[in-house]
Amino acid sequence: MILDILERSLRERSPLIPVETLWGGCQGSRMPDVQPARLTPEIARRVAEVCPTQAFTAQEAGAPMQLTLSYAACIGCGRCIEAGEGAVVAAESFPWTGVSKDRLVRRWDLEKRAEIDAGLPQPSLARQQIYSVLGRALNVRQLDPGSCNGCEAEITALTNPYYDLERFGIHFVASPKHADMLLATGPVTRNMREAVKRTYEAMPAPKIVVAVGACGCSGGVFAGSYAVAGPVDAVIPVDSYIPGCPPTPAMLLSGILRVLQSAAGKLPEMERAHAAQVSERKESLR
Amino acid sequence: MSFAGNSGNQGSVRERNTANMPVPLTRGGTPARLVSLFGSLDSAGRVVVQYVFDTGELGYHVVQSPFDGSFASIAASVPAAAWYERELHDQYGVELAGQPDPRPLLFHENWPEGVHPLRKTPGEIPWAEREYPFLKVQGEGVCEVAVGPVHAGIIEPGHFRFSAMGDVVLHLELRHFYTHKGTEKLFEGVSTERGVALAESVSGDNCFAHAVAFCQAVEAACGVQAPPRAAALRLVGLELERLIGHIGDVGFLANDVGFVLAHTLASSFKESLLQASARCVGTRYWRGVACPGGVRTELDPNKIRELSSAVTEAARKFAELAHIVLETPSVQNRFESAGVLKREVARDLAVVGPVARASGMDLDVRRDHPYGHYRGLRLEIPVTHYGDVMARARIRVAEAAVSAGLIVETLAALRPGAIVEPVVSRGDVSGFSAVESPRGELFYWVEIDKGGLRRCHIKSPSFQNWPAMPFAVRDNIIADFPLINKSFNLSYSGCDR
Repeated sequence: MILDILERSLRERSPLIPVETLWGGCQGSRMPDVQPARLTPEIARRVAEVCPTQAFTAQEAGAPMQLTLSYAACIGCGRCIEAGEGAVVAAESFPWTGVSKDRLVRRWDLEKRAEIDAGLPQPSLARQQIYSVLGRALNVRQLDPGSCNGCEAEITALTNPYYDLERFGIHFVASPKHADMLLATGPVTRNMREAVKRTYEAMPAPKIVVAVGACGCSGGVFAGSYAVAGPVDAVIPVDSYIPGCPPTPAMLLSGILRVLQSAAGKLPEMERAHAAQVSERKESLR
Repeated sequence: MSFAGNSGNQGSVRERNTANMPVPLTRGGTPARLVSLFGSLDSAGRVVVQYVFDTGELGYHVVQSPFDGSFASIAASVPAAAWYERELHDQYGVELAGQPDPRPLLFHENWPEGVHPLRKTPGEIPWAEREYPFLKVQGEGVCEVAVGPVHAGIIEPGHFRFSAMGDVVLHLELRHFYTHKGTEKLFEGVSTERGVALAESVSGDNCFAHAVAFCQAVEAACGVQAPPRAAALRLVGLELERLIGHIGDVGFLANDVGFVLAHTLASSFKESLLQASARCVGTRYWRGVACPGGVRTELDPNKIRELSSAVTEAARKFAELAHIVLETPSVQNRFESAGVLKREVARDLAVVGPVARASGMDLDVRRDHPYGHYRGLRLEIPVTHYGDVMARARIRVAEAAVSAGLIVETLAALRPGAIVEPVVSRGDVSGFSAVESPRGELFYWVEIDKGGLRRCHIKSPSFQNWPAMPFAVRDNIIADFPLINKSFNLSYSGCDR
């Protein structure tokens, strides 16, 4: 019986999605993109009004009038797309993943109908570089500081045969002591604050922390709750951000790979920071 | 403010009661099952305690008792009330006389005494350091094993404390609410439209069931009904969520006994359904699809065909795989007689969903209190009485097949029509709705005034079922705990909210 299944699986085409197809993909996330040519002050105001998490804001005061979009807060509810009369559309590709927090913010000048500091360029995908970073062994510890489990479901999907994260040498590990990267989802609740700090401290340096999901990046729909201490960076230092509610496996994968690309250049710097930290600790023990 | 609630389900009864709480009876004369117990504030700011019971054929029965300073606990005679009463105390500061376990539930050592956020909106909350007394099992050779809140693997946080003698568990104490996010409080003052996003973030993998339960409660309160096409599309989403959940669960169960190939295959069947959802409704987990009054997303004939064939294909492959998994001797060895939840315990703790149906409790909201498109459907509800890991796996396999059939039939019979009905609140109203989510009965209570939502209470099936898990673990070896836990597959965030 089991042999039948194995035989059939072997005959079927592999579901594995090539990394070039995944790179920058965001289908199923409903992350918004703006068509500046169609943007009017009226639409900008309406879009900001319907946004439940103030990801879109329209600055009236001071010329020129601006529309701002922070992907950190966006939950992909699609209300701006409904209200935007074609000026706001679902993004077809999404390079704003695995980047620093300030890169998650986009601005449009409503008079010129153009983006200010044009959007983030999609970096070229250097397969060779990805495969070479960290000697093909990145150990990731996933941490849930209070998430709704939506991000966990998508992170788990990364290990299925469609995405197969292990092909890049990326493994999920059980202990923070074995981890190079911490993937932290969700807002940090009051009740998890201590555990989050201790998990971070248990990781050996150099360590990379990535905040995942609208809640991890900004608190999302839980921002301001009595039971929430804040987004991940309110409790531990965060290097990069992967927005989305939840981010799709393609966004997660692109984000992690992008973090790796930029971390490759930063490794010596991180080593130095670690050495400084160690000597500081030795100092304090003395 | 009128407290008269309207129900999204059939046969609701409402009543006011100031005397001590008697448990209503079913038509057969047995005590009704406790569905939920929660507080709210009346227009004068006084606490009203609401008890919800399922009286079977007589429908949901809501009893409202204004709190007059002294109140008796019902947990000694209705054990299922224990966690609700602890939550009521944490949220509203209501002291209950004779409460068997008065320890805090939602709030941990960091929470200062006397702060009850649903009674009075707190300002800056100082960080406290309090003690939490765990139950101690005493005697020679008893060893305590503490696990969590941070677990190995991609799992939500929670704390388990085992008292074991050798490998055998004598007692398991749960300490949850690490992911408590104050969600019920966040609903206050929010528009019903925006409330959907909050409901979707209570338990991410069951986001559509939460969204539909919330929307139906709002619709009941406002006296509107989603159009037939919207109700049918909701059924498709709800059953798809169940199918996806059950396929994943059976895969994970196989994984926990070393049958990795089955897990890999199940995860790819699940992924094929998520991708079909993304192509057909725009999101993988049907987020942002439900709205008060109906749904926001239309399905054109091409998408209907695509979704239908994806479901047929995945369900066929899954049935084949599940047969192999459950007939494999090494799997049977581990699944059978592991983690038995006895029927009496399940009944006393008012357990719901597949866990209840695996322990001989024949209940399912879809059949017992039908809502939306389930009205008038004849449903086959699989029930078995062994109560072990194998029973819970078999229930899921059987339910997955039923769900796939429902989706395909409903899509084939989909009639054209509107997908949303405007919802207008007529001032101070309240309503409730129950939905059979993949984990079991999910109950929403909403109160709406001019400023939007005034109160939203969420009874999640996980909150109800967690207290029963330690009883299933007792007398098993610690090494079987992950398997037993997985066979319950409860949501931490759904429980902690």
